Amino acid sequence: MYKLYTFLKYSFVTLWTMFVVAPFLWALSTSFKDFQSVNSKVTYIPWIDYQPSLEGWKVLIKSPAKGGVDIVEPYFNSIFVTCTASIISIILGTLAAYALSRFTFKAGFVRNNDITFFFISQRIMPPIVLSIPFFIFLSTIGLLDSLIGLVVVYIVLLMPIAVWIMVDFFNRVPKELDETALIDGCNPYQAFYKVVLPNSIPGLIVAGMFCIIFGWIDFFFAFILTFTEVQLLPVKVVALNSSVTPWWSLSASALVSVAPLIIVAFIVERYLSKGNLSGALK
Amino acid sequence: MNFKHKFVFLFPGLFVLIGILIFPIIFTIRLSFSGWNSYTPEMNFIGITNYIRLFTDDPRFWESFFRLSFLSVTTVVLQYIIGFSLALMVWRDIKFKRFFRVMFLIPMMTTPVIMTVIWRTFFHESLGPVNDLLGTFGIGPKWLSDPATAKITVIIVEVWQWTPFMFLLLLAGLLSLPKEPFLAAAIDGASAFRKFVFVTFPLMAPISIGAIIIRLIEASKIMDTVFVLTSGGPGTATETSSFYIYIKGLREFQMGYAATLSFTYLVIMIISLTIIAKVLTKLMIKE
Amino acid sequence: MNLYANNLTYKLDNEFHLNDISFNFKKGNLYTILGRTLSGKTTLLKTIAGLINPDSGEIQFEEKEFSKIPVWDRNIAMVYQQFINYPHLTVYENVSFPLKQRKIDKEKIKNDVDEALKTVGLIGFENRKIQELSGGQQQRVALARSLAKKAKILLLDEPLVNLDYKLREQLREEFKRIFSRGFAEDTILIYSTTDPQEVMELNGEVMVLDEGKVLQTGPAKEIFENPKNLKVAEISNDPPMNIINGTKINEKINVETININLPNHLSKLENKNYCFGIRASEIKLSNKGEEFVVELAEISGSETLLHLKRGKTKIIVLIEEVMNFKINEKVKIEFNSNKFYVFGDDGKLISSPYGENNG
Repeated sequence: MYKLYTFLKYSFVTLWTMFVVAPFLWALSTSFKDFQSVNSKVTYIPWIDYQPSLEGWKVLIKSPAKGGVDIVEPYFNSIFVTCTASIISIILGTLAAYALSRFTFKAGFVRNNDITFFFISQRIMPPIVLSIPFFIFLSTIGLLDSLIGLVVVYIVLLMPIAVWIMVDFFNRVPKELDETALIDGCNPYQAFYKVVLPNSIPGLIVAGMFCIIFGWIDFFFAFILTFTEVQLLPVKVVALNSSVTPWWSLSASALVSVAPLIIVAFIVERYLSKGNLSGALK
Repeated sequence: MNFKHKFVFLFPGLFVLIGILIFPIIFTIRLSFSGWNSYTPEMNFIGITNYIRLFTDDPRFWESFFRLSFLSVTTVVLQYIIGFSLALMVWRDIKFKRFFRVMFLIPMMTTPVIMTVIWRTFFHESLGPVNDLLGTFGIGPKWLSDPATAKITVIIVEVWQWTPFMFLLLLAGLLSLPKEPFLAAAIDGASAFRKFVFVTFPLMAPISIGAIIIRLIEASKIMDTVFVLTSGGPGTATETSSFYIYIKGLREFQMGYAATLSFTYLVIMIISLTIIAKVLTKLMIKE
Repeated sequence: MNLYANNLTYKLDNEFHLNDISFNFKKGNLYTILGRTLSGKTTLLKTIAGLINPDSGEIQFEEKEFSKIPVWDRNIAMVYQQFINYPHLTVYENVSFPLKQRKIDKEKIKNDVDEALKTVGLIGFENRKIQELSGGQQQRVALARSLAKKAKILLLDEPLVNLDYKLREQLREEFKRIFSRGFAEDTILIYSTTDPQEVMELNGEVMVLDEGKVLQTGPAKEIFENPKNLKVAEISNDPPMNIINGTKINEKINVETININLPNHLSKLENKNYCFGIRASEIKLSNKGEEFVVELAEISGSETLLHLKRGKTKIIVLIEEVMNFKINEKVKIEFNSNKFYVFGDDGKLISSPYGENNG
């Protein structure tokens, strides 16, 4: 009985792992193919099934004028937008979360929980609902097709995440810690940055990772609100898809685009195993 | 504690968020009473004409809404079952525990549209590996050009993409459970199955509800996958509400009507998610 | 130059945490606040610290309205029952934290920190991280931090309650030593606790608190000898004072079916029903005594607590050695009637064995 269970367990996790890696392996294999080896028949293993070529990868750094894809600029745009919006969201979100965790707010029927819910509920907003007014709004103020415009929109996407994680985190930091700091002569701002912040690094890292993930993987806003001046990575890659499909460069650019965040999976796992995430996500 | 400093902490975030959102929301509501389209791109007032059209003469919107409900409920249920199983398996004793955990997390770190581009080649009818392998058994489904299999393909891709998030939330929950109830169950000699039914599952109920609701919220926004994989097709077989609003608003430029759809859709979403949250809480937490 | 409070009241969720509290604490003295858990002790200390704003009432310190001075300018120190230190700092950095906040020069800080660490016996631990210390050591760091500040008001909120028995004894001894060694003339020391023993040993001015209300104030000895009412008698004794319903009939006190000879100090008592109070330590096992049934026997340290019953009367007896009893076993006990307290139907003290009756 126990042996059967163990067998089933290992089979299940192995199968799922194969399912997880299958598209990556396929993309990796495809990225070394050329027209011949993609279009003749389905091929898998280089040197045996087909002769590998580096064409798909070389195209990525060539400028469009020379027939390349030029993924470098969208790459930096994506990094810029994601990081800027994440940093702003974390700073504002952490401050607000601290206030909501420590102080009492009363305004009419509104209490702390209602304000917290207001922040977090912005995730319910479907992107499409926001995209039309944003489209018109940004074009009115001339920020359509600009990095700043995107950062503004991404703050709406990311601040709820920062508030969600940090409120929970601060609720588990004993409030006697800040009280002691106040008694020891810190005003509330000093208590926050001299005592609370240095003891909140695990929470900040978790919140930061989630902001980066959800910023990096967004496609829709970037797609609607930018055209030619500014392109983010996902839009660029999808644009490749609609033209005559060169699967090799498509696969190569896809792999390059998703690679940096795979490192985040390792960091998340480390925090998970150390137990730092357990409370932060409840 | 109560100091006036508290406002300095709260207000920057609150006002930035309100500042960014207030215009779009008011604008959407106002726009929904206008006939803004590509012929008359202006904010005129046509009363509730758009709403009448939506409720009497637009079956396509309601179909897309039920399709969305079907897709998101199916994917979230699958994600919950698989995610919970995976979390249970790598919770305690298993070889290569950390390796498997990392593996199970990876898909959520990848950009959905980009992975969907890969999935398109993966499910390609003649040049993709899926049909190549299935071909050896003599079957070759038309993944993306048949209404039924197109839905299945969307579900497969969504499950691949977002099961990790469910897995992460549930594993984090499992790891934070108190140890005492499990010791008690072990002393009573409870079987693994009984332990799950009477200890693990009830303890995980609040976390489960939270995870399911978070995922439902995110799943209701299914858009990227559909956009790249099928563009709502074949026909309207995989068209979800968001996608339909997108077509009306940003392809056909019926901005006014799209705003009506948006606003109605938002209201329906908030109401149904609230109901789902209440029902789930009743079902999963007894007493 | 006192800490003076008038009619402090604080309510939360319609429940009184402070109910009309007034006091006048003088410098150079030790005040202990005795009360059970949730009696409002912590709320009172936090109100003095400025962490809680009372709904009404006023606090003055050195003739200044205290409510206008924010916490961080009040020059107070507080030790919590949880061992609260700054986890990201070392022991030395923890103790010097409040001093650095004041921008005192480095030499002076070092002197003050060394002195405080010496007082609490933590020399040599300067560079340790807080997490590497035991609970007792963590609490010593917290104490050192509040001593190093040389604050004008030092608040200690049940500082020993989370320590194990042995450490508690040891630290309590040290507290006595630290506080008695001419504790700075211009410091007000306020110590809250649930433990009557601690109150007696610290021997300061006592304030007995229950449900946010002051029940009695006075020197420790007076609280012990003349508890104003049943509630104070209960709170200020551990184990709680035995309260027995009985009737005084001429030269006897009748309890259940037992007749006890009337002690001298009760000779003037009217013939009536009373609540008689007697401490657990004033009842002795004796072959000549009356028969009771054992309900429970607890052994703690070197003592045995015997829970006895006869009819409707339940009493607790403290025996100062370890003894074994069987449940339902019959034992004979004798009351030291010279130590009888008498309370009226309203719970107020009528007569005390220590003569003075301030009822």
